[in-house]
This record gives sequence, C-alpha cells and structure tokens, in this order.
Amino acid sequence: MRNALAEIAKYAFAFAVAALAGAVLVAVMRGDVLGAYRTFVWSSLGTAGGFAQTLNKMCPLLLGGLAVGLALRGGYFNIGVDGQIYAGAIAATGVALALETVANPALAPFAVVVGVLGGAAFAAIPAVLRAWWSVNEIFVTVMLNFVAVFLTEYLTTGPWNDVMAGEAITRLIPDAAKLPMLSVRAGSHVGIFLALASAVLVWLVLERTRWGFEVRALGDNERAARVAGIRTAWVTAAVLVASGALAGLAGAIEVTALHHRLILGLTPGYGIMAILIAVLGKARPLGILAASFAMAILLVGSDSLQRSVGLPASAALVFQALIVLSVLFVDAKRSVRA
Amino acid sequence: MSASAVVTLLLDPELWRLMLTMAAPLVLAGLGELVMERSGVLNVGVEGMMAVAAAVAFLTMLKTGTLLGAAAAAMAATLGLAVVLGYFAITLRSAQLTVGLCLFVFGTGLASLLYRLVIGVTTATPTVQTLPRLAVPGLAEVPFLGTVVFTQNALVYLALALVPVLAFLLVETSLGLRLRAAGENPRALDTVGVNVRALRYGAVAVGGLLIGLAGAYLPLAVTGAYSDGIVGGRGWIALMVVIFGRWQPGWALVGAILFAYTEALQFKLALVTKAVPPQVLLMLPYVVAIVVLVRLYQGAEPPRALGLPYERESRL
Repeated sequence: MRNALAEIAKYAFAFAVAALAGAVLVAVMRGDVLGAYRTFVWSSLGTAGGFAQTLNKMCPLLLGGLAVGLALRGGYFNIGVDGQIYAGAIAATGVALALETVANPALAPFAVVVGVLGGAAFAAIPAVLRAWWSVNEIFVTVMLNFVAVFLTEYLTTGPWNDVMAGEAITRLIPDAAKLPMLSVRAGSHVGIFLALASAVLVWLVLERTRWGFEVRALGDNERAARVAGIRTAWVTAAVLVASGALAGLAGAIEVTALHHRLILGLTPGYGIMAILIAVLGKARPLGILAASFAMAILLVGSDSLQRSVGLPASAALVFQALIVLSVLFVDAKRSVRA
Repeated sequence: MSASAVVTLLLDPELWRLMLTMAAPLVLAGLGELVMERSGVLNVGVEGMMAVAAAVAFLTMLKTGTLLGAAAAAMAATLGLAVVLGYFAITLRSAQLTVGLCLFVFGTGLASLLYRLVIGVTTATPTVQTLPRLAVPGLAEVPFLGTVVFTQNALVYLALALVPVLAFLLVETSLGLRLRAAGENPRALDTVGVNVRALRYGAVAVGGLLIGLAGAYLPLAVTGAYSDGIVGGRGWIALMVVIFGRWQPGWALVGAILFAYTEALQFKLALVTKAVPPQVLLMLPYVVAIVVLVRLYQGAEPPRALGLPYERESRL
C-alpha cells in the first residue's frame, strides 16, 4: 500500500514538474497560464474530436514504445524507430501505389502487412550486425534514421511526388488501400485497435512463450542465457527484427489510416518519444500503454497551445523528457537512500 | 570519369580543406566525450547537448554579435547539461545509458524550443556572419598542406592543438594518471586517498565545455544559421570517433578526419555530378559510418569502469 502511494506520488511529482515548466513557458510568452491548462486538458480529453486526436497520436507512440520496450527486454536499445517507421511507411505506400488499379478491399491489410515487413527488413540490418558481428545497435539504428529520412525525401520529392502539391509528399494512395475510420465525425481511425492488439500480443509473447522467456533471459544476463543453451545470436536478431516490425506497423498505419500518402515529416520524432515511453513504462507492455496515453495527451494538448498561445511544437518533447528525468531522479534518489 | 579524374577529385586540396573544417566539431566533441569516458562516465547525450549549444550560440551571436560571448553561452549551457548528467551518473548512480538517452531527447527538444521562442515563425531564416579564415603567414603558401591546414578558421587550429595537449595531460601528468585510474579502477584510486567523485565531476565538466564548443562551431563556423537538424548525427559520430580512437586523442583525430572526409566528399560530389540524386549522396556519410562500425569494435577495449557508478561503501 505504501509502495503504491509512493509510486503515485512519484508520477504526480514528475507531471507537476512538467506542468510547472509549461506554466513558466506560457508566462514567458505572456499567455494566460490557467487558460492554457484549461485549453490543454479540454483539447486533448474534453471533446470527441480532441480525444480522437489523442488516440490517433497514441497509436504510433504505443507501437514505437512497444518497439523500444521489446528490444530493451532483450537488453538492446533500438534508437532507430523513426527510421523503421519511415521504412514501414515507404513499403506500405510503395505497394499501395504499385497496385493503384486493383480496387480490391484486401489491398489495405496487404499494404499494412508489407509495411510491417518493411520495418522488419530495415531493422534486420542492425539485428544481423548485432547478433553476428557484435556491432553496437545504438549507432547502427541512429545512422539508419538519417538514411531513411533522405530516402523519404527522395521518394516524396522525386518518383512518387505529387506534382500538384508542391511539397515533399507523394500522390494519394487508392481508396482500396485506406484503413477505415473509427469515427468519421471525431476523426479517429482504427489504428489504435491494431496498436492495442500489438500490446497484448507483445505481452503474451514475452510472458507466455518460450521465445519470450529466452528474450527476457537474454536481457537479464546474456552470459547466463548462453550457458543455459539459448541460441543468443538468433534471439538477438529476432528481437530486433520484431522491434522493427512494430515500428513498421506504426508507419504503415500513419500512411493507410491517417495521411493516405507518404510525407516527409511523417514522424515528428515519435521514435525518440518512444525511447522516453519505454523508459517510463519500464519496458513492460502495460506500463508502455499508460505512458503512451499520457504522452499522447501531452502532444495533443501542447499542439492546441501552439494554436492558441503560440507554444512551439518542440515544447512537448521537452515536457516529455522532463517527466522521464523526474521519474529517474526519484527512482535513483530512493535507491541511493535504500 | 577516367581514373586520373577520380584521383584528382579525391586529392583536391579544397576537398581536404573542407574535410578539416568539418573534422573540427568531431574532434572537439570527441575529445570532450573522451575525457568523460576516460574517467568512467558514459555520455550518450552528445547529440542533444550539441544541439542546445548550436541554438544558444546562434541566438547569442544574433542578439549580441560577439563571437566569444556566443561560444561562452553555448559552453555554459552544455556545462549545465553535463552537470545534470554527472549528478545522475556519479551522485545518484543511475543507469548512464538511460539518463544519457533522455538527455539526448531533452536537448533535441530544448534546442528547437529555444530557437522558436526567440525567433518565432519567420519566412526568412536569420543568419550570422561565420568565422573568418585565418591564413597562417608563411605556411599558407606551402603547396597542398598550406591550403588544407593553414587557411582554416581559429577553432580548427584550436581543435588540432587540443589533441596533443590532451594526450600529454592524459599520459604524462599525475592528474591524467588519476583520471585514467578513475575510469579503470576507481577503488584503487579511492584507496590512495584521491576523491573519485570530484575527479569524475571535473571530467564531466570539461567534457561538457568541449561538447558545447563543438555544438557552437556548427552555426558560428559552418552554416551561419540554425536549423533543427543542424547537428545531423555528429554527436553520435563523435561517440564513434572515441571508440575508433581506442580512447586515445591522436587516434580519435584520425577517426574524426575519416568521417569528415566522407562528409566533405559528399559535398564535392553533389557539385560535380547530376546523375545521382542529392539525397543519395547525403546518405553517404551515414552509410560509411555503418561500414566503419562493423570493424570498430574489433579489439576495442573501453576503460574497465566505463558506465559503472562507483560506490564507496559497496563490498568487493
């Protein structure tokens, strides 16, 4: 009981730090602080449209958080979720545009699957390098983020460019490749169900399968896992590929359910927010679920303050990082005292 | 393209000069990270710290017009971030990788936020004058080397000079010996009465200052403007440079030059070829980095206590 209260107090403290930072920022910009808080909560939770926005943002954040968290359970840091989101989005867009003339409703799920494979394939590079060449996955995934962004820039301004738009965006994908809306009026799409299902799946795999046990064993103690007969190289490769697949799914959903095209700037740093979410959620699916919901609220709320008081979009990232640093601070303080 | 044309292109003195210009931030950040890691503290937040430094340096330069003030403000900002990292890593004994990653994200957001708060949304990107080139009298006329080495901006000279200075301090002085001991065997150091914490805090502070200078270099010496992607992975590459250099300043310089060469080559190729899309050329430094990475870890031995918090009271 006392532990639970201490945990609640910890998160309350962390969110208070972020709220205080927000108040200072709004005050610096000569905005009305209380009004800003009201706008923040109302825009993200208070209306059907706002809540739909929150769910739409939660989708890539949850999937990205699961991607980072899954790799983390195996003892690896996937910093390349942004790149893998782009890879998934590119693959989904590619297949949707290539099959433009096929007016078959199966095209949408097919594009999503191809997107998942795209993310997985992109993550296979750091996976293989880590598993069999002991190359640090952090560096490889970070470098591949840049490669993915430039590839997206090339495709959105070059071969797939929408010449009418005059922006770095591709042509629209055909209607058959679009995932359905959850609520047309509110503007939410079905992606959130895919993300929630993924969270359940990741939990089941980690806690209820032999492979999941091997992943956790690897993350706890690599040497012990190897001595126990686990083929650590294969588990390493698989967990990083699976991590990329989750990110790829996020990218595919952004294309088939939200933007209906590939755009440069498709992920405004979901991948680095995902790192925070995985840390905040302690790499557990349920924790990641809660953390991604909170971060989505922050993102949508901050976004509305951008319109009302001109709060820069990057403020959300600062708030998110402050929350996680505050939690790490309290955790560390406690363990030092203990 | 004929073979001789390729050789002429690869050995073009202008290309090599650009290489050194682009190597300087990698050298500065790499040396900063090296000092921290040699003392046993791992800082993976370099990229975010450099971003904050770039924003602060640019904004200070824009508002005050003083180069020294801009560099000092940037270094003060990263010093602050480094002390936060030090507090978590040294005093609170947190997982350094996790804290470093969070600082990377925090810095990335903070840099962009500061810029937007001061500049707002504008159509015209504000710019500042970049550092002038200083030709070293007498040496600048030497064929090839004169162009490559002796017509650089002041910070390139500073970065190059810091390499032997730091190598000397690390290897030849008792302070350097103690610093290295803090990263190899902190308990032994503690046993002879040296304050491990103070040493590590000192190393983190020095590292933060150097990383700040590296970040400030980008708007002040290269672009003359700030954009959110300005660091462009150089913070991560600085971390690789340290490993490439086996935690030794001289070899870190070689690593920085190697990475900077591919970056300069990409600029050069974009000028001479129209056949390849520019984005493919822009990928080149990152792809090369991955190729280098494959060999990077073979035989690399980090300081033995790197990333491990030192607990005085713990049992052996």
